[in-house]
Amino acid sequence: MRIRAVMLLILAATQVMAQSDTLLSMEEVVVTATRQERRLGNITIPVNLIQRKQIQQAGSLRLRDILQEQPGIQLTSNFGTGIQMQGLNPEHTLILIDGQPLVGRTSGVLDVSRIALSGIKRIEVVKGPSSSLYGSEAMAGVINLITENPIQPLFESSLRYGVADPDQGWGIPFKRNSFQQTEADLQATYFIGKLKVRHSNNILFADGVSFRPFSQDRIPRPIHRITHQTIIQQNLGNRAEFKLLTRYNQDRFQQEFSVRNNGITIDSYGRELNKEINLQPSLLFRISDKIRLYTRGYLTSYSGDQKLRFVQKPDSSYLDRFEQRLFRIEEQVDIKKNNYTVTAGVGFQLEQANSTRYDALANQKQNNVNYVFAQWEIKAGEKWISILGVRYDHHTLFAGAVTPKWSLRYQAKSNLSFTASVGQGFKAPDFRQLYLNFTNSVAGGYSVFGSQDAIRVINELNRVGQIAELKPDFTKLTSLRPEHSTGINVSMQYNPTPTITSQLSIFRNDIQSLIDVRQVATRADGSQLFSYLNVNRAFTQGMEASFQWQVHKNWSINSGYQLLITGDKEEWEQIRQGKEYIRELNGSSRVMNKKDYVGLPNRSNHQGQLKIKYEDTKDRYVFMRLLYRSRWTVANSNGNGVHDVQDEYASGFIQIHVAGGLPINKNISLQAGIDNLLNYQDIFYLPNLAGRTVFITIRTKFEPKQTKRINHP
Amino acid sequence: MRIILLAVVVLLSITSCEKDKLPKTVDQRAYVIETIGKITTVKNLPADTIIGTNSIGQPVGAGRYSFFSLETGQWIPNIDSNSTRWDLAFAGTTIRINNATSGPGAGGAFVFNGTFESLQSVPTDSVFRIDNHPVSYAITRGSGRAWYTYDGPTNLLTPIPGRTLVIRTATGKFAKVEILNYYRGGQTPSATAADSIKIRDQRFLHFRYTYQGNGTSQF
Repeated sequence: MRIRAVMLLILAATQVMAQSDTLLSMEEVVVTATRQERRLGNITIPVNLIQRKQIQQAGSLRLRDILQEQPGIQLTSNFGTGIQMQGLNPEHTLILIDGQPLVGRTSGVLDVSRIALSGIKRIEVVKGPSSSLYGSEAMAGVINLITENPIQPLFESSLRYGVADPDQGWGIPFKRNSFQQTEADLQATYFIGKLKVRHSNNILFADGVSFRPFSQDRIPRPIHRITHQTIIQQNLGNRAEFKLLTRYNQDRFQQEFSVRNNGITIDSYGRELNKEINLQPSLLFRISDKIRLYTRGYLTSYSGDQKLRFVQKPDSSYLDRFEQRLFRIEEQVDIKKNNYTVTAGVGFQLEQANSTRYDALANQKQNNVNYVFAQWEIKAGEKWISILGVRYDHHTLFAGAVTPKWSLRYQAKSNLSFTASVGQGFKAPDFRQLYLNFTNSVAGGYSVFGSQDAIRVINELNRVGQIAELKPDFTKLTSLRPEHSTGINVSMQYNPTPTITSQLSIFRNDIQSLIDVRQVATRADGSQLFSYLNVNRAFTQGMEASFQWQVHKNWSINSGYQLLITGDKEEWEQIRQGKEYIRELNGSSRVMNKKDYVGLPNRSNHQGQLKIKYEDTKDRYVFMRLLYRSRWTVANSNGNGVHDVQDEYASGFIQIHVAGGLPINKNISLQAGIDNLLNYQDIFYLPNLAGRTVFITIRTKFEPKQTKRINHP
Repeated sequence: MRIILLAVVVLLSITSCEKDKLPKTVDQRAYVIETIGKITTVKNLPADTIIGTNSIGQPVGAGRYSFFSLETGQWIPNIDSNSTRWDLAFAGTTIRINNATSGPGAGGAFVFNGTFESLQSVPTDSVFRIDNHPVSYAITRGSGRAWYTYDGPTNLLTPIPGRTLVIRTATGKFAKVEILNYYRGGQTPSATAADSIKIRDQRFLHFRYTYQGNGTSQF
């Protein structure tokens, strides 16, 4: 009797498990943590996995939409939508597509609303320094988009229409003042003999929202985005596999915005056109069961082109062009033995950029990188796994960087495991920090010079009497060095029952020689001259917790939370010594206390999400997500140059998104939902946040051959 | 603590002075001087408030200084600008002291890094600077230098906390001054406030000071 009851219980539990995709199975395969396929239950650093199904059920269109719902990721709103992981700036997170980096950043920000999710199978997020595998920029972590392979002949399409009207609350379809979004998506997989081909096409027409440096205005900016992706795959015998990924992305913005500085407003209009190409051939060759060779090439090019005219200055115009190209070839070898796995690789990378923001568009800037990396994975019994990795990057422009990482996993019980890692990250100075030669005569007047040119240009200006004052920081101008960080991450994974999984992590990052813009001189006309210096030392630390619970066979709960504490070490030292001041309510100054200090700006201390899903066996679902972010500092309003409790904050907020799905038959399904149900808006500090958006999607799917669909091959 | 209201409305302080009438109120808001113990607080002192824009659209004032006596705690009419009746003159972010090219007095000033309360006496090795009007001033102009920072993107000016101006008055006495705020009502507008408000309400100085009339350097 008792045995039967237990059997029933196990049966019920397995049934729940089979239904659930809330609970991440330890059998899921990820690649980002080790640069090769590994089960989640076998890796030594936590990986946040976002599956295609979750992306679709959330109704997400762009990478931005789905990342904002993930624990420990905050979005930033300057220069497009950037991501902040573990409290580090957007420039410190590497964004990869099938393991190769996307380029085309503005002020260090890679705009994640640029990236369509069409043809993406899953997204892997690794937090903590990962330079030991991925080199420069992987200081805060890595976000890797894994493309969907052509598995079987398939035709899928979707059409989505969304409408918002932030002022009225509810948008009325096809009304002129409404913000409308139309997205069409087409995916096709077919075989030509042994050649497997998969196309993904995505077109998005949207009335967007503009944000530019110093702009305080929120103006709809019509956006046309087109993404095309083709994957060609062919097996060459039993041992080798060839794959070619091509991806083209184009964004076209109609621009209308105001720039304000020193109380002067300039209205401008024009267009911005961004184009991106990725070409990624790879050849996987299995020499034996134990040894495989992985050869990869990568060619990417990004160009951004902006043409503006000004209402107040009809005869002048502004042209801005930025081009970046990256070429890379790398060879990786994986050797598996019983107790250990060795991965080693060598690569060569060539990176070029041209910009009107450098000395001349025709002058091409170039940086070559040669790198080697190696990783030893050792299994000690059933419980311990240790991975030791190291990478060396040799840059032609800077000193080399050695980045080691060591991580451990301890499986205490079948439902309890611990992981710990310590590693280093680095970010080489980018072209902007080296070569920028930019004068903004529109907004009050200032110039920024890259470190390569700053000394020469300013000395020349000084010689002809154009410099009024050299700041103390001018004497500190030297060749820029890479930024370095050391990160420690400790996590626990505990599944108290078969229907509950939970993770708890703590992290700390210590960052040295952060590059910051500093004023180095003042021109005779009073305008300021800036350049880049390795000046700051900072830290970020915190805790991340997540919890997944399959409450009932149809109901599941998924929640996450991040606590974040940051600080500038120099500022912290000044406060400790009583050299920073703050004002009382009546305006008089007093010495600042440690508890007044907020740390780095634009970071929320608390951030979390709660997701509740109902899903039945007929694939009908309702998916509700509640996102919370606590207030964050946006401006130093008491003049002390340090961010403290008296500064101007953007208010914390709650956003709710709801989506529901209903299959009509085996080929057609409907989805409808409301994003930003509460119509939360902050026109100054969240300019990229659209108002309440109601949307409807029709999906069709045809599988010509009667083969069972495999979700995660 | 007993509050002595020395002067409330400008009119009261200058009825005896018919030569050059100062405004009764400024945009319906009176400036206030009040003294609590050793500390006198001045609120809403207009400092060449904005009257329009120049040819390139920048907001400008009339170029008129507001002269102030730390000794008597009074706003001094402009007709007395060439006398030792005043110690500080305010126009926008410029603060003049009564000496050299600015006036006939024995004035001088320097900036002390520290709170108003922590400055108990003028250090013996202090070097008082003087004005070279209209080129440079004892109290340096410019963002982040003497007493304020200016942020271009938000178009806001903020006094730096922990900066105390040490003043030698026109008659050679000592005073310490802390600038509290630059906007009407003593509240810096929000960074997101309209530019029209930031322009209209700027150049109203709020400051507090302690004047030592007995000639010693102890406050």
